Order: sequence, then structure tokens, then C-alpha cells
Amino acid sequence: MLKSFKMLNRLLHNQIKSQLQYPVSFIMEVLSSIAIMGFFFVAFALTLDRFGQIAGWTVGEVAFIWGITEASFGLMDMLFSGFDYDTFGPMVRKGQFDQLLLRPVNITLQVLGSSFILRRLGRIIEGMIIFIYGLTLIDVMWTFEKIVYIPIIMVSQVLFFGSLFIIGTTTTFWTTERLEILNIFTYGGSEIMSYPMHIFPRAIRVLFTFVVPAIFLSYFPAVFILDKADPLNAPRIASFLAPVIALIMFWLAIRFWHFGIRNYQSTGS
Amino acid sequence: MTPIIKVNDLKKTYKVYKNHKGYFGVLRNLFDRKYDLIHAVDGISFEIEPGELVGYIGPNGAGKSTTIKMLTGLLVPSSGSLMANHQVPWKDRKDYVKHIGAVFGQRTTLWWDLPLSDSFDLLKHIYEIPEEVHKTNLGLFREILELDAFIDSPVRTLSLGQRMRADLCAALLHNPTLVFLDEPTIGLDVVAKQRIREFIQFINAEKQTTILLTTHDIIDIAKLCERVMVIDHGKILYDGRLETLLSTYGGSRLLTVEFAEFYPQPTLEDAAIIRMDGNTVLYSFQKQDVSASKLIQRLSNQYRISDLEVRDQPIEDTIREIYEKQLLYNQPHGKENSTS
Repeated sequence: MLKSFKMLNRLLHNQIKSQLQYPVSFIMEVLSSIAIMGFFFVAFALTLDRFGQIAGWTVGEVAFIWGITEASFGLMDMLFSGFDYDTFGPMVRKGQFDQLLLRPVNITLQVLGSSFILRRLGRIIEGMIIFIYGLTLIDVMWTFEKIVYIPIIMVSQVLFFGSLFIIGTTTTFWTTERLEILNIFTYGGSEIMSYPMHIFPRAIRVLFTFVVPAIFLSYFPAVFILDKADPLNAPRIASFLAPVIALIMFWLAIRFWHFGIRNYQSTGS
Repeated sequence: MTPIIKVNDLKKTYKVYKNHKGYFGVLRNLFDRKYDLIHAVDGISFEIEPGELVGYIGPNGAGKSTTIKMLTGLLVPSSGSLMANHQVPWKDRKDYVKHIGAVFGQRTTLWWDLPLSDSFDLLKHIYEIPEEVHKTNLGLFREILELDAFIDSPVRTLSLGQRMRADLCAALLHNPTLVFLDEPTIGLDVVAKQRIREFIQFINAEKQTTILLTTHDIIDIAKLCERVMVIDHGKILYDGRLETLLSTYGGSRLLTVEFAEFYPQPTLEDAAIIRMDGNTVLYSFQKQDVSASKLIQRLSNQYRISDLEVRDQPIEDTIREIYEKQLLYNQPHGKENSTS
């Protein structure tokens, strides 16, 4: 375990080293991604400001879940960039994945270590700014449980999005073409999780509750932390299922990933 | 000696899916797929002894890569048995690949954006190579492969020849007992090819490393391998010494004649005209049909000659002829087990 961690650390260290070869361009990339991604929130907040609130949620409250989701997605996109369809697809097609299989190191670890897109820092920073902005606006009775639960939610979201990335990328073993439809769940999921989910039509809510349980990762936990009334009338426990659901999804994703590799080894590409 | 590779009736059958086209085709492909069965490797058997350097050749799509992929544990065979280094390659992948090395000429195992020396350093940790071994091997390989000039340059800036030398070094740092080289000289110039051949020879001789070499460059085989296996359509058609193969099927010789005057049709019994260029004509004939002296005699009886030259057909052409005319198919079985 410690050996694996050291190995991953070494692989990532090299990834970071090669990306920092051009520091000025790196900093520009980070700043521009903060600006571009941040603009979406600014546009939303300005609009919402005209109406004061959206379905009972204020700008500050939306900023709270928006910021958490944005930062978690950014963190996931950095940590799991090896599983990004755009990185992994070409890796399989060009035979680089075979090169990884020829090395005596755990394959999941190697894929994790094969890419680490450092400029995602931009999105993480942007998310944190929105999150902190939200904190300054909301008026919440802070308790110990609430404060501890925030990092748990973030870690759960990272695992949740990571699972979707792994599942999406595993389909590469069967299809050589890009499955755009899966982006509905990854990028679409992160979009939807940025808003209080009761504003969406029932069909979308059902999809993101029972097919991809995104609602348990942002809306329900936020209902608890922000002391909001829940028009969906979900049982109180729904607010605390985030880590459970994240772990189950991650376990399923890893199982599917290993199944995909076994299939790859028996069918070739 | 027990063989280091033992392959028995190995088969690999691919399903080649016919893809649906169009926007929804991608989705339909997931559920409703029709396929053809391709027998990429169709029941091959062979053994390789420790320390052998064996050439593995065949035309494109013959099944070479599929065999190598099974031998390196990347692919699971459809049927048959395969033991290499006393292991079943795909069973315990991580343990098996510790003791093998592989170079795929078209790909690199190196870290593209990092200085070459960083890749060698990472490989030390990946293969858990003891410090002294790593130092000795790297020192030795740096010298033979002349890596020093570019060892601090990022891999992406290396020329193809430099990169190939670096990849060979990378594949051998951990002292593998069994090495697979797939097209290690592809796209290289004569000098670079020669350097790589010398290195392969050195590794095989000094470290007793067993090497299976796949290549399209028959000169690689001629210079390096005593034993060659020819595969086509998934079957091994010949397994034995290269000279035997060449003397059996490479009877063709070439005769270049420069005539003293121009003959529109300088026909010659037992010889075929391959090319005419003014007064110079190139004939080809079979060693077993007619001797060179007999032909020259006939020539001088019929025509006025100013110069001539006789030589054997180049090996590449012989091999190409074996593939194209499928000469090995006419034999009951072109098998001659090597004893080395």
C-alpha cells in the first residue's frame, strides 16, 4: 500500500514536472480558466439578483452548493485526468495502454499516474472563491457536524464524479468511437448539482436520483447544512447518504473497470 | 535444457465487428453487433531454448503481432497452451512482466516530456532494480548505444533512431531473461540499424538473453538469427535455419548482360528477361535449371557481348517471392527443427 502510494507519487511528480516546464503559460492557463468558469456564476448571480431568489434559495445559498460542486469537480478532473475519455481513448488506440500493461505495477495506479492536469487548479480555485463568497452571504447556525460534513461532501463528490469518469472511460474497451451521451452524466451532472435540484422538472430529478444519484451528493446535504425546507419531502437520512452512495458507486466503477480490462485482454483492440 | 518458451496448438480468434454507421449507429453498436471470425493465430506450436535468438517473420497481417501480444501477456489466447519463463503470461501479469522486456518499434515506453535520464530513473523504481545493477547496466548501455549525447534531452525532441536506442536501453535495464523485439529497426537508416543489430547481438551473447525478433527487414534476420520461423495466415510454415530456407527456395540468380549491339528480343533459353535498358538486359534463372557457365556459353553463341555479371538474388527478394508465390504452401510441411 505504502509502496503503491510512493509509486503514484513518483509518477505524478513527473507529470507535474513536465507541465511546469513553461511556468508563465501555466499561470496564464490557470488564470484564464478561473475567469472563464467564474463568468458563468457571475452571469447567473446577476440574473438571480433581479429576482432575489430562486425557488426559495438565495444567491448565497446557490453559491454555496455551486462552489462546492465546482471545486470538487475540478479536483476530480485533476486527480482522475488519466481516466478522462479524451486522454484514455487515444492511449488505448495508440497502444500506450499496452505499454502500461507491460510494466509490473498495478494498472489502475498507472492510469491514475499517466495524467495529472495541473491547470485544473483554476477550476478548484474558482469553486473555492464562489464557495467562500456564498459563506459570507448565508446566515447559518453552524454546528460541529455541519462543519465536519462539508469536507466529507467534497470528498464524496470527487469519488462520485471519478466513478462516472471511470465508467465512461471503460466503455472505450468496447467502442472505439466517442460516447458523447455519457457526458450527460459527468458534465451534465456537475451542472445540475450546482443548482437546488427541486427547480428541475420531475423527469430530470428522477434521472439524477435513481439512475445517477447526483441529488444525494449536493442538494440533500445542502438542505441539512443550510436548514432549508425540502419541497421534495425526502426522509431526513437522505441528507447523510453522500459518502455511502459515493463509496458504492466507486466500488461499482472499479469493478466495471476491471471487467473492461479483462475483456480487452481477451478481445484485443 | 527445458525450453524457455513452449507453445502448443495456440489459437487466437478475433471477432471483427461490423459497425453500424450514422448518428445512432454508435449506440446500436453497443447492443446489436454482427461480426466475422478472424483466425489471427491458427494453431501454432514451437519451442525456444534459453539463449536462442529467433527471427519471427511473415507478411503483414500474418499473425506476428498477435503471437507477440499473447507471449507478453497482453492478450489471452482462444485455445492452446503457452508457457514462457515457466509462467502463463496473462495469469499473473504483474509478476510475469518483471522478467521480460519488450520493444515495440512503433511505440515508446518513455515519458515523452521528460529528459531521457528521468525515464531511466523511473524505470528503476517501477522494476525495483537494485541500485548497483541499474548503475552497471545503464553505464554499459549508454556506452554501446551512445546515449550520452541526448540523455538530458526531453524524449519528444529525440530522432527516431535515438528514441529507438533509448527504448532498447529502457527495455533491458532490469536484466530480463526473455526479450521480445517487434520491428526494432523500422524506419531507421543503415548506420542506426547496424548499431541496433550490434546491441542485440551483444545482449544475446553476453547476457544469454533469449530474444524473439519480429521484423520486416530480412537483413536483421540474416545478420542476427540462425533460426527463423515464418508465419502466414496464422500458421507457422517454416521453422529452421535461414540458410536452409534460402537455399531451398532462393534458387534464383540474376544475370546482367551488356550487349555489344542492340537486340530487340535477346531471348535466352532457361532464363527470363526481367528488365531491358538499351543494350543492358537483366535475366533471372534458377540454379537448379541451368548453370551460369552454360547460360554464358549460349549467350556468346547467339549474341555479341561486351560485359556480364552473375549474382544471387538478394535475400529480401527471395523472402518476398516465398510470401507472394506462397512457396511454403506447396511443401508437405517446411519444418526443420533447429538444434541449438
